[in-house]
Amino acid sequence: MLIQGDNLHREFEFAGKSITALATTSLAVTAGELLTLTGPSGSGKSTLLNLLSGLDRPSGGEVRFEDQPLNSFNDAQAAALRNRAFGFIFQTPHLLPYKTVVENVALPCSYGGIRDAQTIDERAHGLLEYVGLAEYATHYPRMLSAGELQRVVFARALINRPRVLFADEPTGSLDAENAHRVLSLLRQEAVAGKCVIMATHDAEAMRFATRRLNLDKFSHALPG
Amino acid sequence: MLYPADVYADARDAWSSLRRRAVRSSLSALGIAIGVVALVSMLSIGEGAKRATLQRISSLGIETVRIESAPPLNAFAGVDVTNLSVGLTVADAQRIAAWLAGRGTLGYFARNDEQLVTAANHRALATVVGASADWLPAETLRAAAGRLLLPSDNLQQRRVCVLGARLGITLAASIGTPLHTGNQICKVVGILRPRGRLLTEGTGLSALDFDNALITPFTTSPFPSGARQRGVHGMLVRLRNNSPASLPGVAENLKAILRETHRDVTNYRIVVPYALLNEARDTQALFQLVMGAIAGLSLLVGGIGVMNVMLSNVTEQTHEIGLRMAVGATRARIVSLYMCHSALLCFAGGVVGLMLGIAAALLVQTYAGWAVAFSLLGLCLGPASALLTGLVFGLHPALRAAALNPALALRES
Repeated sequence: MLIQGDNLHREFEFAGKSITALATTSLAVTAGELLTLTGPSGSGKSTLLNLLSGLDRPSGGEVRFEDQPLNSFNDAQAAALRNRAFGFIFQTPHLLPYKTVVENVALPCSYGGIRDAQTIDERAHGLLEYVGLAEYATHYPRMLSAGELQRVVFARALINRPRVLFADEPTGSLDAENAHRVLSLLRQEAVAGKCVIMATHDAEAMRFATRRLNLDKFSHALPG
Repeated sequence: MLYPADVYADARDAWSSLRRRAVRSSLSALGIAIGVVALVSMLSIGEGAKRATLQRISSLGIETVRIESAPPLNAFAGVDVTNLSVGLTVADAQRIAAWLAGRGTLGYFARNDEQLVTAANHRALATVVGASADWLPAETLRAAAGRLLLPSDNLQQRRVCVLGARLGITLAASIGTPLHTGNQICKVVGILRPRGRLLTEGTGLSALDFDNALITPFTTSPFPSGARQRGVHGMLVRLRNNSPASLPGVAENLKAILRETHRDVTNYRIVVPYALLNEARDTQALFQLVMGAIAGLSLLVGGIGVMNVMLSNVTEQTHEIGLRMAVGATRARIVSLYMCHSALLCFAGGVVGLMLGIAAALLVQTYAGWAVAFSLLGLCLGPASALLTGLVFGLHPALRAAALNPALALRES
């Protein structure tokens, strides 16, 4: 297994009450899979992605990446893991507005991975070409459409050649054509051997999955 | 672990971010700039005053005690006291010299200002000084040509003189040139090196331009009253191998001698340049304390403004912070990013403040006539204190940014 979660659950304290964001859940994903997480709003799809990617820590249970427990990682180790092994695509294609497209793609390299400026530049331009945006390299994000921005985010997610791609509603703000392009790219990466975990409501997105998990069905509460 | 390249990358990002919010950034940097203006102008005015004081003290001689005749003070003010004391005389000088007993040099002089001096086809108005032979070396006067006065010139009442550098040029005089002053003739035996003026402002001493002086032996000086009474205008005591700290004590001894010989009539003034230096230092320290407090308060207020702006930036950029953490930024890098933000903001304010501070100091010099001087340390201190303010007041917002939960931060729009 490349990444697995055992008995994960997440609760938040709010106004003195405990709110369950994710009921106890277990899953395991291997390389080459494109797993879609589905379920109604509030079922914990995004929370599960955050826990698996180390962006958040579970209230209980354990995440293992290549058999290493993420719980034992400190903040810096978790950050390094996200930088080198994970890539992120969010529903809103958030880019830094004061950086050009190619600089945004190279952003993760500021925090680790490749350090050589020329290699970074070549790889970033190569990825922009891969997502069909080579001519926009020196543009600023405000000059791009939503679909183009999401493809820039996709390129950014790939810059450090991650093992796992986490996509949280990646087509949520896109039209059908752009959504199809992004989903095709994700599928391509899965075929190339990456593990892709995608939370989605989009029925079209589910067609690209190699495995589908409905969080409502998949999750289960452990006996108290 | 933070590497210089990481901090450089964060500084570049911080600068870009600040430029996007140019108005807000400029306004918050303005607070810092005002503090630095106060600091730089205070330091340059203080430095100018210090250098002027040191120049004045150096002109007077740090290891000297100067005594000059003055109108009577205390109970004798406005009363004719010549029956009690005629003022400073050669006899006073001899008593003091005896007390010194070789521990220093004592020179004395009498002077007459605005005297016409003529040489062949040239004439000039100069100060004619009748001096003891020891007075010239005590004033650290050096001969550029010829010699200084000798004790034998006084003893034998030789009609010789030494000229100040500028006067020598004005009169086109050289060694051996005969000069006329009053009804006397004297032969030039020496021309002094340029020495400038005795800087006596604020000391109560009378000024003397050595470069425009004609110095003759005291015994030949053309001052009828001085010659008759053997009265002198001033004395100069230069101690050997004494620490300057002992000079006020020496001055007390001289005062005791003169009090006795002058029958309690204080018709003289004793000035210790070293004591003036200490007084100037005290005044300057007070000035710097007050101005430093003003500059410090300005920087404090500016720093609070910067912290406020930084907290707003952190709130506005919560999503960006989450994004950076998602792509691998450690908490240390987030701290570094926001410390760079505040440090750059304040440093920019500091540089602007430095330039405005220099301009303010020059305006003070031009319009108020105060001495102003810039030292490298003073110029560096402005931007450095601004930078320090940025680091201190940027720490809290930076730590707050770094403490964000990346998952929650990403949910912020």
